[in-house]
Amino acid sequence: MTHSILTSRPALGRRFARLGLVGLAAASLTLAGCSTVGDSTGGSTDAADDGTFTLGFAVGGQPDADWQELQGDVAAGLAEQRGWDFVELSNDNSEATATKNADIFIQKGVDLVMMFNGQPSANPVIAKKYADAGIPVITFDIAQEGWYFVGVDNAAAGTEGGTALGELAKEKWDCQVDLVIEAEGTAAGQINTWRTGNAADAIGEVCPDIPAENYVKYEADGNLTTSLANAPGVFAAHPDAKNILVVGLNDQAVVGALQAATQLGRDGSIMGWGQDGGLITGANVDPNLVGSVMYFLEGYPSFAFEIADEIAAGNPPAVKDTGDDAAVSVKPCPVTQEQAAAIPGIDERVAELADAPAGTTAYDLFCKS
Amino acid sequence: MTTSLITPADPAAPVSPGGRKGRPDSRGATAWRDALSIAGVWLLLIVATTIVRPDFLSSQTLLAVTFTMAISGILAVSQALIVISGGLLDLSLPVSLILSAWATVTALNNGLPTWVAIPIGIVTGAAWGLLNGLIVVFGKLNPIIVTLATGFGGLAIMLIFFKSAQIPSTSELRLYGLGRFLGLPNVFWPMVIVIVLAGLALTFTRWGRHLRAVGGNAQAAKARGIDLRRMRLATFAGAGAVAGLAGVMFSAVNPSFTPASGAGFQLIVIGAVILGGISLSGGKGNLLVLLLSVGFLATIPTSIAFFGLAPAWALVFQGALLIIAVGIDGYRLKRTAR
Amino acid sequence: MTTATTTPTPTPPNPGLLFDEPALPLHRRILSSFRGPVGSISFTLAVTLLVGLVWIGPEFLSPSNIQIVGVSVAIPLIVGVMASFALLAGVVDLSIGSMVGFGAVVFNQLVAAGLNPWLVALITILVGAVVGLTNAFVIVRFGAEPLAVTLGMLTLLRGLCQVIVVNAPPSTLIEPLYNVTQGALLGFPTLLLIGIGVTLIAAGIVSKTRIGRKVQAVGGDDRAAARAGISVSKVRVIALVVSSVGAAIGGILYVGQLGSASNVLGTGLEFQIYAALMIGGYSITRGGVGNPIGGLLGLLVVAGITNILNITFIDPDYLDLIVAIILLVAVLVDRLRGGDAFE
Repeated sequence: MTHSILTSRPALGRRFARLGLVGLAAASLTLAGCSTVGDSTGGSTDAADDGTFTLGFAVGGQPDADWQELQGDVAAGLAEQRGWDFVELSNDNSEATATKNADIFIQKGVDLVMMFNGQPSANPVIAKKYADAGIPVITFDIAQEGWYFVGVDNAAAGTEGGTALGELAKEKWDCQVDLVIEAEGTAAGQINTWRTGNAADAIGEVCPDIPAENYVKYEADGNLTTSLANAPGVFAAHPDAKNILVVGLNDQAVVGALQAATQLGRDGSIMGWGQDGGLITGANVDPNLVGSVMYFLEGYPSFAFEIADEIAAGNPPAVKDTGDDAAVSVKPCPVTQEQAAAIPGIDERVAELADAPAGTTAYDLFCKS
Repeated sequence: MTTSLITPADPAAPVSPGGRKGRPDSRGATAWRDALSIAGVWLLLIVATTIVRPDFLSSQTLLAVTFTMAISGILAVSQALIVISGGLLDLSLPVSLILSAWATVTALNNGLPTWVAIPIGIVTGAAWGLLNGLIVVFGKLNPIIVTLATGFGGLAIMLIFFKSAQIPSTSELRLYGLGRFLGLPNVFWPMVIVIVLAGLALTFTRWGRHLRAVGGNAQAAKARGIDLRRMRLATFAGAGAVAGLAGVMFSAVNPSFTPASGAGFQLIVIGAVILGGISLSGGKGNLLVLLLSVGFLATIPTSIAFFGLAPAWALVFQGALLIIAVGIDGYRLKRTAR
Repeated sequence: MTTATTTPTPTPPNPGLLFDEPALPLHRRILSSFRGPVGSISFTLAVTLLVGLVWIGPEFLSPSNIQIVGVSVAIPLIVGVMASFALLAGVVDLSIGSMVGFGAVVFNQLVAAGLNPWLVALITILVGAVVGLTNAFVIVRFGAEPLAVTLGMLTLLRGLCQVIVVNAPPSTLIEPLYNVTQGALLGFPTLLLIGIGVTLIAAGIVSKTRIGRKVQAVGGDDRAAARAGISVSKVRVIALVVSSVGAAIGGILYVGQLGSASNVLGTGLEFQIYAALMIGGYSITRGGVGNPIGGLLGLLVVAGITNILNITFIDPDYLDLIVAIILLVAVLVDRLRGGDAFE
């Protein structure tokens, strides 16, 4: 017993000694830091006050979307062309990180922020921070009051994709559609409703006789692996459906469903129309992905830089912050698989875009002639 | 006493310094009871779904369930080997999976033939397992902590090196991934073979007996002359190779994947292992029960779809089942201890 | 080390004796303080600060930067300190990340539905308590493995988050809560002050009160604790409820900070927090070791490194790599110092 008292008591004392020590260390470091404040050379990373225009860029950081980091690469190239300072962070697909990144950009004193936030629920808070700091923001794809909206008209993209797929169903199956699968990504919120929901509605416009119970939704989470994990049950639960259409949040979600159909031997008569064009180019396109709507996501920065140039020149344009009244409305480019075959892959597109004269957009370069 | 400290604190478990839970004489009986209870609950789920939707019993359901079982089943064997050997858990399994898949796909994209690419994938998994094993053995660190760290770090390294990977659509492996054998998905069969082989090896080989002995009581096993280091390294490398095979199969059925694509398997695999009666304290476990457990968990999402519920409900049910199952298991141990 | 953990102190506390300690010379005390995990983590933190100052300059310790670090570390700190009681009692609670998310979702949805925020906060905390009791019931009553049970709870709660939030979650900017969670008091982040307060209280409880010693005793060796007349079950039930309620509070604070709660909020947070706690001297595989101060320092190290990478705009992927290495080194150092060896 005595022994245990002896061993526990000093532990207590040590703890306080340690605390003091830590405090001491921190204090001395603070002092050391403060003593250099006077130096004009101090703070070499301080880009804010040297007069150069600084652009803060926050990529989405969603693990299943390689185009998000490519947006950053394109923006870095465009900023370099203009001799601007460029700093990039990743929102890491987390609302907490996106909010923290706003603080970091504000501290850094950037002159303009471009961002994509895949978890937009924190956008009102982020908007409040930037508004207080007086920093203009260009947002990609997800509109927020007070921010320049650069994005595809998602509602139109959904409708155009659905219409194209509906037309194919009319032509090939005379609108005899047994199942319309909506591969949703509900975390994307309104965008999901526009892309997936509008596509389904558009199919209904073209083929009005498809009964409502033939439309089935499931969660694909916007990525192929999850979609492929959840889709088999959907097909199994509709064993008699022969002619099947698939629409969804993006190409990954749609291809996940198409792959599940192949695994279950239901790919005899199935057509999918994707969104965002992520898996419609290159050598390994799913044979049943008959088309997709390309936005050339990697090219968004070239649109955003049209606004950025005006802001940098000192005459910012009026803020247009909704999908209906967008600062730049990226034209959706619906393509069939054959048309997409002529479009280079995403890495080549980034390279070509970087070499193109200023003001050229990916749409000009790559959308079907 | 050292052994009782490395397992998660287990308040009521009858841990005594000498003998641990695994009683060799009752092991067979326990396995049978586990197997019967899982089969029973599985049957219940099938009956319940069939009452609501009579068309549940179809070849389509069979295909959906066996396809879902394929990857997670192989991964579950890998996880089970670690758990039975007393390694607690391998939290870096998603990294083994994707790293191996990436190695396989990279080999194929560089024009290497299939018979080279597949071993490359398996060896990559084994190498990753060996890395974990080396840290565990030479650092004398607890595997769950080591693999927590390597799981973090491994994902980070993959994210630095590649964004997404695609298997060539005309490669033999890809065509294999799309094919079927005896009416079931091709990728289902390697899973069955792995479970059967690993199960037989675990029961009938010296290696298997040693693995169980080390997992049941490392110090006692050491006293009996088993080389703990060699055993641990072999287990981690072996389990890694199994995960590597899962990676090869994963690349065959997922035409495009990213470094984070493995994350979804983590919980379902651990759940399958625990539900399969493989105690986290090591030394006990039957891989045929594991097969039942994998099958049962794979049926839940399909049943959910037949009920017309959102897929998120599958998580709710799987989580609840896991809690109930370990509760019942703990209660049984507690009672037999009295 | 071993004596400290395996000889828990079921001694009746003597308030009069609390502060008397063997009179060691100061330099000996300072030296000995570096032998424990708190010592080495203080050293790591000092190195982190030094690297930050050298690399970034005085800007690193500017008020705005302290604000950024403070705001981001405060909620994990509060959640981590509360969860550390479960670790200390030898029952790891993996469900805290999902509980943070579930607490946030419940709070956000109910506030958006127009209920009084105070009432909703109470409901959320009650939900946390119920989750904690459920964990405790299965673990303590049935003797199930904590790791397995709380993993099941992690899955279940994440599923519920996704069932509840199927589309864009509502935004609920609650001004007072926003000001507390994002604001500053006398130039210091308010929430971090609260977090440090919670840490100090917890540290006091752990090292100075009877309850704290009981928790350590139960986590160190439950059989010995039971022999000493401590109710092992009661201690573990309380520890698990504290852990869950802490996570629920963390969820509420996140809603204040972010103005909303998506269905992925808190995913993976449990491992981030436990990695930091283990860097700070806790263990997820054995109870009875660790001190909230160590946990605070561990979180500060990780937050400091994150911040250095952030404000130098380095790819955050490197962060996880660095944290992984620090974690391995930390547990290795702990092991070399006499912590448990795994064979």
